[in-house]
Amino acid sequence: MIKDSQLFQPFSEKPIRLMGDAGEWLGSFELNLDSDTLLKFYRDMLRARLFDERLLLLHRRGQVSFVAPSAGHEAAQVAVAAALKPKKDWVFPYYREPGLLLALGVPAVELFGQAMATRADPNRGRQMPAHPGSRDFNVFTVASVIASHLPPAVGTAISMKVRNTGEVVVASFGDGATSEGDFHAGLNFAGVQGAPIVFVCQNNRYAISVEYHKQTAAETIASKAEAYGLPGYLVDGMDVLACFFVMREAVARARQGFGPSLVEMQVYRLGPHSSADDDTRYRPVEEVETWKTRDPLARMHRFLAHRGLWSREEDLALRTEIEREFRQAVEDAQRAGAVPLEWMFEDVFAELPDHLREQRRDLL
Amino acid sequence: MGLATIVQTIAHTLDEEMRRDDRVVILGEDVGKRGGVFLATEALFQKYGPDRVIDTPLSEAAIIGAAVGMAVHGLRPVAEIQFADYIFPGFDQLVSQAAKLRYRSGGQFSAPMVIRMPAGGGVKGGHHHSQSPETHFVHTPGLKVVYPSTPHDTKGLLKTAIRDDDPVVFMEPKRLYRAIKEEVPEEDYCIEFGKAHLRRKGDDVVLVSYGATMAETLKAADALHEQGISAEVIDLRSLLPWDKTTVCRSVARVGRVVLVSEAPRMANFMSEVSATLTEEILDALLAPPIRVTGFDTPYPYAYDREYLPGPNRILKAVQKVLSY
Ligand SMILES: Cc1ncc(C[n+]2csc(CCOP(=O)(O)OP(=O)(O)O)c2C)c(N)n1
Repeated sequence: MIKDSQLFQPFSEKPIRLMGDAGEWLGSFELNLDSDTLLKFYRDMLRARLFDERLLLLHRRGQVSFVAPSAGHEAAQVAVAAALKPKKDWVFPYYREPGLLLALGVPAVELFGQAMATRADPNRGRQMPAHPGSRDFNVFTVASVIASHLPPAVGTAISMKVRNTGEVVVASFGDGATSEGDFHAGLNFAGVQGAPIVFVCQNNRYAISVEYHKQTAAETIASKAEAYGLPGYLVDGMDVLACFFVMREAVARARQGFGPSLVEMQVYRLGPHSSADDDTRYRPVEEVETWKTRDPLARMHRFLAHRGLWSREEDLALRTEIEREFRQAVEDAQRAGAVPLEWMFEDVFAELPDHLREQRRDLL
Repeated sequence: MGLATIVQTIAHTLDEEMRRDDRVVILGEDVGKRGGVFLATEALFQKYGPDRVIDTPLSEAAIIGAAVGMAVHGLRPVAEIQFADYIFPGFDQLVSQAAKLRYRSGGQFSAPMVIRMPAGGGVKGGHHHSQSPETHFVHTPGLKVVYPSTPHDTKGLLKTAIRDDDPVVFMEPKRLYRAIKEEVPEEDYCIEFGKAHLRRKGDDVVLVSYGATMAETLKAADALHEQGISAEVIDLRSLLPWDKTTVCRSVARVGRVVLVSEAPRMANFMSEVSATLTEEILDALLAPPIRVTGFDTPYPYAYDREYLPGPNRILKAVQKVLSY
């Protein structure tokens, strides 16, 4: 059910945009966010970008085995975090979302610790880099298996409804994920239950090398919502304000008991799929260059500068500050020390069963 | 084809089979333009076009299920699952449709298809890029299961798989994809399933393995050789059917055996081999067959080499069987 008082209508033909390429406000309503909020969007996006760059550096030095670059996705991820109540609402992310986790407040040291499998990782070094999770922040630990987190996300949302907790779930994924059965199972069940969940598809037009039109014959991912009885929103995912306002509305609707929605954020992956990928094998360099001109950070920078909220000097100072924070976080993550070998056998079950006790003894 | 790695041999063999038989089609994620994430289908899309090399949507159920339908209708699909770990979203199609079609239709329908997948750990990929799910497959009546360890065997076994009239799960040792180069014959040759490959002859102990852990097993055999212990090394090459005859013959002659597999220990394929040996040649055994396997934990990211049954753990097991 969709309320009339909403700012946005689902199933628009063109993506919802609130910020032009030059950073001008396009909204039909007055922008009612204070400058601190606007600056925080930018700051969070920059942290995401620099986090990625730091990981790539660690990868080149052989300290991290794998990176899934998120450049191009920052606006979408930061907006999702901003629309939620951290530590109250739940997030079921996928592997390309450091921006979301950082913006929710997950400490950088935990994320670097995850990437390097040190004791700073609350997941205890069990997963490959880019697969964090945090019980503290209600961030469901990422699984590589595409779309496999969507039915669990729906279950958590149903539990919120049944237990009447006023919380909301956001589950995010890429365009490729929408082809898996788990995507359909999840959306369908969420619709039937009217569960408080917002599905966020970060459509970067590629699933590794497979481009959008080989993934689906549907014009948009947002349109898929219709068949499950959900509203589907098509948003410019490189416009942090559009993403934020649409998310805020979708989250409010879920929180008020009006059920789930699907938000498609159109983004572009500015880097390769991962540190193991060579994207020149499947997409033209010119295409990447064109999308770089729509960089979500640059756009927000222009927006802020336009309003006299941001200068080049401030930008440099912020970069330096974040770089310093991350250098320290990497150091702290390393200083925590490698996870110990005996942890291999823990957490398979709540208690260590006899056969694992024996196997541990054999190895150690 | 000269010196080639396993992954090059796969692309080459697929090319030969596609040229030989125009019913052979390839489908999977990223197999087209990109040539597969490991390049096992490199250049085939450019050569055979989008009808024979199909980049699928990201759905293993669609890949395997559609392969069943294609096979029923006369094509010879070779499906790629990007990592063996991603078989599970397609597992229902594999187990419920592909494996049982011939049986449940009284032989009217069948699904001659190959499902290729890189398997095994040691590549810092965490549990979702490292597993060895072969037990699931051999426990599913109706599937054949093959797992080569060398370029030469890869070619012959893949050809047999493509020409086989039943669904074949073709597991590939991903950490050996580029680790070994050997001379792969130019000519067309098939290697029969259920025929083990005797990799070393020896008299003191028999080491049996397959797939990626053949590398560790051979290393262990080398180390034993230096200690003056001669190990016979058997590469099973296919698990269903498996070469009971060769294994029983060697073990009966030598009397001691160590069984190596990186899959978790519980219901490991080697447990089947061990049970068979004790049932069939108990009298000839001088020591109980000992398994060296992965642990019964999900595949860990940290210490992913320690999880594997490496040469040291194999040597420890050899000491144990020799001390009986
Ligand atoms: C079930 C499953 N199949 C295959 C893969 C291998 N894989 C990893 S990422 C990926 C593409 C995902 O694309 P998309 O969902 O669009 O997200 P993006 O990476 O573009 O952000 C694939 C095929 C996987 N992780 N899980």
